[in-house]
Amino acid sequence: MGCSLASGLVDLIKKIKRNVDPDLLFIEPSEMVVTRELKDVTAMGLRDIRYGAGPFITLVDGPQFPFLWSERRALLLGQVKDADLVAVSRMDLIESHDLETINGLLQDHCGPLIPLSAQNGDGMGEVMKRID
Amino acid sequence: MRVVTVSGAGESGKTTLIREMVAHAGAAAKRSAVIVNEEGLIFYDDDFVKAHGLTVEYIRGG
Repeated sequence: MGCSLASGLVDLIKKIKRNVDPDLLFIEPSEMVVTRELKDVTAMGLRDIRYGAGPFITLVDGPQFPFLWSERRALLLGQVKDADLVAVSRMDLIESHDLETINGLLQDHCGPLIPLSAQNGDGMGEVMKRID
Repeated sequence: MRVVTVSGAGESGKTTLIREMVAHAGAAAKRSAVIVNEEGLIFYDDDFVKAHGLTVEYIRGG
């Protein structure tokens, strides 16, 4: 994440806090942003305004995992490392043995994976509990 | 206000999950806002924004 984007994000967080002050502010970053950068940005904003930070959620795309692991491993690991919650998304499009493979490859880099599917609702309750 | 981030590859379901969380929060009378750092697409349609009183801001760069 470049400096201008980071400072722009901090400014936006502060603007929303001052003008709207919602209960929850969700940030949907570019696919190239890693979790450490998001933690740094939210910490920067805390220097002069008060809000809660987290959970920092990372979605690991189940169907895309083989590509991500072979071609974008550093980015993928940068997103799962430091995350408070890591979920494997689009579970309805992969087989259970694929999830075991993903678990095996990521277990040293993050906490337990939550299998997630918006299609059939699997895992949604687990994620929602983290924002309640 | 609490900041919640959802990272992941394109098409991994970030928008879908955030929409679910916005709806879940709305059902508990909680207000939400979203900052989107993706370019070229409208992720949150007017009907959804109006229905949930959602504040949406877009920011470019990555």
